[in-house]
Amino acid sequence: MSWQDQIDEIHQRRALAKQQGGAEAVDKHHAKGRLTIRERIDGLLDDNSFDEVGEGAGVPEYDENGKLKDFQPANFILGFGQLDGRKVIVGGEDFTVKGGSPNPAGLRKSVYTEELALQYKMPLIRLHEGGGGSVGGTGQDKKRRPLGEPVFSTSRFVPLAKTLGVVPVATAALGPVAGLPAARLVASHFSVMTENAAVLIAGPQVVKRALGHDMTKEELGGPAVHLKSGAIDNLAVDEQDAFDQIRQFLSYLPDNAWAFPPHLSNDDKIDRCDDTLASIVPTNRRQPFQMRKIINAVVDQQNGDSSFFEMGRKYGPSLITGLARLNGHAVGVIGNDCMFYAGAMTASAAQKLRRFADFCNSFHLPIVSFVDEPGFMIGPDSEMAGTIRHGTAAISAVLQSRVPWASVQVLKAFGVAAQAHFGLESYILSWPSAASGALPVEGGVAVAFGREIAAADDPEARQKELEDMLAASQSPFPRAEGLSVHEIIDPRETRPKLIAWLENAQHAYRTTAPEPYLTTMRP
Amino acid sequence: MRTKITSEIAGQVWKVIAKQGDSVAVDDVIVILESMKMEIPVQATKAGVVSELLVAEEDMISEDQHIATIESE
Repeated sequence: MSWQDQIDEIHQRRALAKQQGGAEAVDKHHAKGRLTIRERIDGLLDDNSFDEVGEGAGVPEYDENGKLKDFQPANFILGFGQLDGRKVIVGGEDFTVKGGSPNPAGLRKSVYTEELALQYKMPLIRLHEGGGGSVGGTGQDKKRRPLGEPVFSTSRFVPLAKTLGVVPVATAALGPVAGLPAARLVASHFSVMTENAAVLIAGPQVVKRALGHDMTKEELGGPAVHLKSGAIDNLAVDEQDAFDQIRQFLSYLPDNAWAFPPHLSNDDKIDRCDDTLASIVPTNRRQPFQMRKIINAVVDQQNGDSSFFEMGRKYGPSLITGLARLNGHAVGVIGNDCMFYAGAMTASAAQKLRRFADFCNSFHLPIVSFVDEPGFMIGPDSEMAGTIRHGTAAISAVLQSRVPWASVQVLKAFGVAAQAHFGLESYILSWPSAASGALPVEGGVAVAFGREIAAADDPEARQKELEDMLAASQSPFPRAEGLSVHEIIDPRETRPKLIAWLENAQHAYRTTAPEPYLTTMRP
Repeated sequence: MRTKITSEIAGQVWKVIAKQGDSVAVDDVIVILESMKMEIPVQATKAGVVSELLVAEEDMISEDQHIATIESE
């Protein structure tokens, strides 16, 4: 006697599980231009590094002789793996079985994903494609009376929420993602969607029945909607691009909240001074400039590629957020984009900043802010959007930050919103183009000196005279004289100055062991 | 192939640079908007010929408004 029959059945079950929803379902999936979840995991991870968890979870089917005939696997694949040599946890729905809508074993495995991340404190990656629950339940016996979860059970959202403060979480939408998987998708620090993905609370048929809107799932929740809504950060041209973006995102981050971000050496020179920075800001303040060119010129470059990795470009576009390296150290980068409302802080830009500042604090990323802030966005739409509340919350998040903070004042720093660019003990560099005050001259003079301008013989000339006078008072030179900024610099010196600061700041910051970041209620 | 050129911001048309029938390259300026006291260009995202120009100077423009159409091969 031996256990050979049982051992054979284990291997048979594994082989059947690998068939996923069957050859026909897999072919159908490929025909849509999509990879299966197992192909996705292989495409993402280092070669042959996937170590599956719960491979035997599923429902067996036996013939009349008690021999295993078929095996429907859990439609959520989960396991450990390596990404650029670092341990990660990865999981995702198997769309070829029930369209990814959870079967009982699949639901258990999906919920276990976050538990694993919390237990092993490894970065978590979820590759989503699937629907949520159905009114028919998760495939259990329909004749049984639904008893629900026991009152002492823990909600599956507890570990989902906890992971965000413990390990980096990156997710991808690689097809239609609805209901619970959509909620899991956005419970992340970074999310990316492919062009043919859609993210939905409920699908077209439910929406049509409830609200009468006749829309496709792409119209409801395609990239055009959710990159702008802020639900998803980035677009990927295909699935491999999504995996590459996740890999790049995680390269800036530590394994968990108890570690500092990794240092990755590169051959960019510390004292590289980019000559274009001397003239990149127009002297005519009505003319815009490209803040991304400034960021790319300052941060590390490797083989001609900038280390700047932008997140959420389409959402709150007056504020740029992303990750980069300075002399190999990972940093969070923010900057105003004056191409959008002169860089003003809109409600969405404020929410983007608050989330980004909390993210950087969660994983001990110093922040570098490139400042060109005209103030909160004004006007009826802005008032209706509650910009003042969201903006004040963003300022609170910035001033509660515990990470080292540097601010490069490129041009404007006006109004209350300017506070959102200077953390506690901020190291402040000022370019000669900088201008600070309560209000930009262009908008403020006509209001503050309205009567005087109206009474003048030549109102236009008087307004110009006042504007020139007040513009001179906003000059950065008196501020440098009063040590209101650390240095007024030649813009070309920005990179070496920031690197010198970062090395000094890390010296103090790294004397205390890192730990999870806890925030308070904000406005 | 028709490409719609839209404005990503609200503002007022300050200058119309391109004319209907003009050949344009990617990043050529179609119109300049004034928004928050700044001159913000709306640029061609595709090379081709401007087949439609739907705004005039001093028009108020809303976010995502269709500004022009470019025909290309």
